[in-house]
Amino acid sequence: MINRRHFNKILVGSVALSFAACSSITNVSLPKDRKRVIVVGGGFGGATAAKYLKKFSPETEVILIEQNKEYYTCPFGNTVIAGINDIDYIKHDYKILESKYKVKVIHEKVKKLDGATNSVILENGDKIPYHKAIVSPGIDFKYEKGYVKGSEQFAPHAYKAGAQTTLLREQLEGMQDGGTYVMVAPANPFRCPPGPYERVSLVAHYLKTHKPNSKIIILDQKNSFSKQGLFQEGWENLYRDMIEWRSVEFGGKVLSVDPKRKEVTTEDEVVKADVLNYIPAQKAGQLAFDSGLTKGDWCPINTKTFESKLVKNIHVIGDATIARSMPKSGFSANSQGKVAALQITRLLKNKPVVNPPKLANTCYSLIAPNYGITVAAVYEAHEDGIKAIPEAGGLSPMGADPSFRALEAEYAVGWYQNQTADMFR
Amino acid sequence: MKKLLLVLFCLCNFMYAVEYDALQGKMLSLSCASCHGTDGKSITITPYIAGMSKTVMYQTLLAYKNGEKTGTMMQKHAKGFTDAELEQISYYFSKVER
Ligand SMILES: Cc1cc2nc3c(=O)[nH]c(=O)nc-3n(C[C@H](O)[C@H](O)[C@H](O)COP(=O)(O)OP(=O)(O)OC[C@H]3O[C@@H](n4cnc5c(N)ncnc54)[C@H](O)[C@@H]3O)c2cc1C
Repeated sequence: MINRRHFNKILVGSVALSFAACSSITNVSLPKDRKRVIVVGGGFGGATAAKYLKKFSPETEVILIEQNKEYYTCPFGNTVIAGINDIDYIKHDYKILESKYKVKVIHEKVKKLDGATNSVILENGDKIPYHKAIVSPGIDFKYEKGYVKGSEQFAPHAYKAGAQTTLLREQLEGMQDGGTYVMVAPANPFRCPPGPYERVSLVAHYLKTHKPNSKIIILDQKNSFSKQGLFQEGWENLYRDMIEWRSVEFGGKVLSVDPKRKEVTTEDEVVKADVLNYIPAQKAGQLAFDSGLTKGDWCPINTKTFESKLVKNIHVIGDATIARSMPKSGFSANSQGKVAALQITRLLKNKPVVNPPKLANTCYSLIAPNYGITVAAVYEAHEDGIKAIPEAGGLSPMGADPSFRALEAEYAVGWYQNQTADMFR
Repeated sequence: MKKLLLVLFCLCNFMYAVEYDALQGKMLSLSCASCHGTDGKSITITPYIAGMSKTVMYQTLLAYKNGEKTGTMMQKHAKGFTDAELEQISYYFSKVER
């Protein structure tokens, strides 16, 4: 039998190894002289939260656990699919978080967070205790209607960026002129409400340039979508009848899919695709389920602090949460990551939390490289929910002239540069 | 006389505006970083707002809020904050080293 001391020694050994890149070696038991916050998931929510925890409270030990060494952003992923940028454009790493902000980064997959012992359990068996944890695991997909694990290699969703982004791009490049690109757009709620429509816009831009006889069919699992008027105006202006949008009520409803044959059966017909971009329905990342953080498909939170309503000392941010009325966007996740970091810093020092915290979101979408549209909102977190401030926010204007659209496109790029620097640099 | 008093009152109101509350300033400034960079240190075409004069920034934000100045985006965000909050935000960025 392995006794407790021996067990601890193994743990210290393995974690020390993971920390070899940083100069200081951390014990697996909780540090006595300072607080430890573990952030799980190094995406828009988690990377931001880890950096800002250190900014707000340098004396706190912050450990970021992320399974991948590199992070590919979904934002601007659609420009990669459409051949406007290369995959490296959306690639980021955690080196500056380590060197400049002194965040300890471990690249391991987390099995679950154990609220009973306040510790993170890694897939390799290591167990690391925390005073507070922040979890930002993003989304996972619901496999249904014939779309099963593995289907993504035939009908990529490209709704988590990286290999899927490259695959969809290759399929698009391989498509014949005159081919049909079929997108299945998911029902609400899902990651990035304008995301699918930005994607078909940029795919249309690619096709118009390279394969002008091709067409795009969107089979939508809902009856309306984000910035719909602006998108449809843009499609009319730029792509005429290349894009056909079918709402769930009028021909969009998917009954089943055969990803290998690239066939989608709707209520009316079998739609054959040359490229099938199937975006499944979504739920919180698996880690949230395994850690007991979910109710239904998503994670309920206390809106002022983002602490889980179900497990104490774990704060959940980003796409995995129920943070209505904020959309599931990178901007939202970033905004939430900072508020959670600020409130945790206050809680660890036994100070009252900021009340009410304010948050914001702006979603930029490109309809073409020089044609941008936006939607924005400012929020206040109240006991009974996160409320958009009625007078603020809104959409970019309909019927704006090309210079306005070009400016918004330029600001979209500006947003991406500053946003990713705010997370990783 | 009444008018003069009102003018004086407004002036005073402006001069003796909110006291700087570091915590409020920090919290309210957080979401600005998404477009203007961490602490307002933009690396792109979005304006660099770190270390900007408090008065200039406050006046600019008020102008956006009141519709005297329009941009693509800022008027929509400025309307989401009270005047006092906009002033706290301006204080915050004025205190960041450029
Ligand atoms: C096509 C598309 C376009 C988009 N465009 C925009 C846009 O223009 N603007 C915008 O604001 N948003 C946009 N988004 C939305 C944005 O990508 C998400 O809202 C954002 O990524 C959410 O951040 P998150 O932290 O919740 O999750 P993620 O960014 O997905 O991060 C989750 C991280 O957790 C890690 N992880 C998960 N489970 C584990 C585990 N068990 N162990 C270790 N690590 C784990 C993952 O590897 C991942 O790195 C877009 C999305 C798509 C799909």
